[in-house]
Amino acid sequence: MKLQVKLALYNTLTKLAIIVFTGLLILFSLENITYNHITARLKDKKDELMKHLSSKEITQILNQQQSFTDYNILKEEYIFLKPIPYLSSRQTEESFVTARRTIEQTTDTYLILTYKFNFNNRSYLLEIGDTMDAVIQLKQTIKEFTLLMLFVALSLTLVIDLVFTKYLLTPFYQIIDRKLIRVNDPMNFDYKKVNTTTQDFELLDSSISTLMKKIADLFILEKQFIANVSHELLTPISIISSRLENVLLQEKLTEDSENKIFASLKTLNRLKSIINSLLLISKVENLQFDKNDAVDLKNVIAEVYSELEDRLDDKGIVFNNTITHAYHFQGNNSLIHTLLFNIINNAIKYNNKGGSIVIADAMYTEQYILEISDTGIGMDSEQIELAFNRFEKLNRHEKESYGLGLAIVKSITAFHGIRININSVKDKGTTVKLIFSKEMI
Amino acid sequence: MNVLIVEDEKGLALEIDEFLSHEGFTIEHARTKKTGGEKIFVNNYDFILLDLGLPDGDGFELLKMLKDLKDRNDAVIILTARGAVDDRIMGLEQGADDYLAKPFSLNELLARIHAITRRKHKLESNEIAVKDFRINIQNRTVHYLNERINLTKKEFEIFNYLVLNKNRVISRTNLTEHVWGDVLEINSDSNFVDVHVKNLRKKLSQFIPVDWFETVRSIGYRVNI
Repeated sequence: MKLQVKLALYNTLTKLAIIVFTGLLILFSLENITYNHITARLKDKKDELMKHLSSKEITQILNQQQSFTDYNILKEEYIFLKPIPYLSSRQTEESFVTARRTIEQTTDTYLILTYKFNFNNRSYLLEIGDTMDAVIQLKQTIKEFTLLMLFVALSLTLVIDLVFTKYLLTPFYQIIDRKLIRVNDPMNFDYKKVNTTTQDFELLDSSISTLMKKIADLFILEKQFIANVSHELLTPISIISSRLENVLLQEKLTEDSENKIFASLKTLNRLKSIINSLLLISKVENLQFDKNDAVDLKNVIAEVYSELEDRLDDKGIVFNNTITHAYHFQGNNSLIHTLLFNIINNAIKYNNKGGSIVIADAMYTEQYILEISDTGIGMDSEQIELAFNRFEKLNRHEKESYGLGLAIVKSITAFHGIRININSVKDKGTTVKLIFSKEMI
Repeated sequence: MNVLIVEDEKGLALEIDEFLSHEGFTIEHARTKKTGGEKIFVNNYDFILLDLGLPDGDGFELLKMLKDLKDRNDAVIILTARGAVDDRIMGLEQGADDYLAKPFSLNELLARIHAITRRKHKLESNEIAVKDFRINIQNRTVHYLNERINLTKKEFEIFNYLVLNKNRVISRTNLTEHVWGDVLEINSDSNFVDVHVKNLRKKLSQFIPVDWFETVRSIGYRVNI
C-alpha cells in the first residue's frame, strides 16, 4: 500500500473515531443535562406551590373540590392535586417518573414529579408535569446540528489533509519514480535534483544519487577491468604460446621435451578458454552485446548441428530434430548460437554412447518453448541447483570441462529474457526447456 | 616477403619475428603508433601485423591512414587481445584482410598469411605439390596426377593446414581450433579429429602409400615434404 493511501486511511479513521466519541459524549450529556434541568425546574415549582399552600386561595380550592388540575394553554405543563387517604407518617415522598398523560384529549409524554404530603391533617398527592416533547425536539435539533458540524469539519479537514499530504509527498514519489522505478541501467541515471524543501527527501534524493554514482563508477571500472584483464592476461599467454611454438622448431629437441611442450601448449589453450569464457559472461552481464539481429532459431540449430556433427558421430548419438515452427525473435545471433552450442554440446558430452538427442518445440499464444532432451547420465535435483554456478563441475571425471558452460547459458538467457528450465532424472537423461515469451519478437 | 610487426609487446613481436624469419620473411618492427605510421608511410609491405592497443593510440588509426594512401596493396592482419565485440567486424569493414584474437597459434598465423597471399596475388602457384598430389587452394580440390580425389570440406581443410605447416608437428588442439574455429570449451581430447584424418589418409593412400603423412605419438600429425 502506498504511503499516501496509508496516511489518508489513518486520517480518516482517527477523524471517524473522534466523531463517534464526541457524538456519543454530546448525546449522553445532552440527555443528562436536559433531565437534570427539568427535574430542577419541577422541584422549584413544587417548592413554590408548597410555600403558597397555606394561602387562602389554595386551601379553598382544596376544601371545595376532590381534586384540582391546572395547565397552560399549550399543555406544556400541568399541575394536579388530589387528597388521598391519610398517611400517618410524617415523612413526605417525592419521586420522578416519565409517563404518558392525557389532558383534554391530548396525550403527551411528561416528566412528572409526584409528591405526597400532609396538610392540615390531611394527605394530598401532588403531580407536576412538564412535557418532554419540546425537550426531545430540542435534543434532536442539537443532535442533528452537532453531527452535521462534525461531519462538515471532518470532510473539510480530511480533504485538506489529503491535499497537503499529496503536496508533501509529491517530491517523494518523484524520487521513487524517477530514481528507482525508471532506472534499469545506472549508466543512464537522471542525476537532476528533485525539487523539495523537505530535508528528509533532500537527503534521500542525494543519497540515492550518490549510491547510483558509485554503482555507475563501479560499472565503468568493471568494464575497464575486463578490457584490461583480457589484454593483460591474454597477451602473456600469447607470448608464452608463441615462444613454445618456436622452441618446437628446434631440431635437437628430445621426444620427452617435445611432449612436455605440447602438453604445456594444451594447458595454455585451456587457460585461454577459461579466460575467454569468463570474459564472455562478464560482457554479457555488462550488456556489451546488442540485440539487433532477427534470430532464426531453426537456422541456428542447423548451424550448431553442422559444427557438432563430428562429435555426434564419434559417440554414435542419434540427433532427432523435430522442430515444426519457424520462430524468429530479436536478439544477438552469435550469443544464441553460443547458447544452443553449449546446451547441445552438454547433451552430447553427458550422453551415453549410442544415445539420442531430441529437439522439439511448441507454440503457445503467450510463448514459444524449445526443448532439448538427451538420454544421458542425468542429474539429481541437488546437482541441477548447482549446475548454473561458475566452475561447478558435476562430473569430476570429465577432464575437459571447466564448469563454465551452464554459467554462460545462464547469462545469455538472462540477457535475452529467456526462461530456462532443467528437468533431469539420474541415469535417464536431461531435458532443457527454453521458454521464449512472445513479447520478445 | 617483408612484414611489419606493429606490436608494443616486445616478447611477442620477437617470437613472431623468429617464426616468420624461419619461414623466409623479412621482418621490421614498430612498437608505437608513431613509428608504425612513419614506417608505413615510407615503405611498402607485403604484410602488416597490427596490434590494436598501442601505447600511444589505437591501431585502427594506422589502418585508416594506410587505406588513405594511394597505390598501396599491403595486407593487414589485426592481432588483438582487446575483447571488444565489434572489433572484428570494424576491422574487416575498415579494410583489414584478417583478424586474429590473441592468443593465437603461430601456425595459424602462417596459414592465414599464405591464404591472403594466394588470394591477393592470384599466384599461378595456386596449386601446391605434395609428392604426387596437387592441392588447388582456389578451387579447394586435391588431385593425384589427373584424378580428382573427393574430400569433404573438413578433410580438405585438415590436409591444407598440415601442408601449409609442413615438416612441423601440428597438435590436435591446434588442428581442431583451425578447422572448427575458436569454439568455447571445445573438447580437444575427443578423437573426432582423428576420424577425419583417418578417412583423409585412407583416401590418399588409395593411390600411393603416404608414409610422409605421420601420426606423432599422442600429440598430433606431421606432413614431411
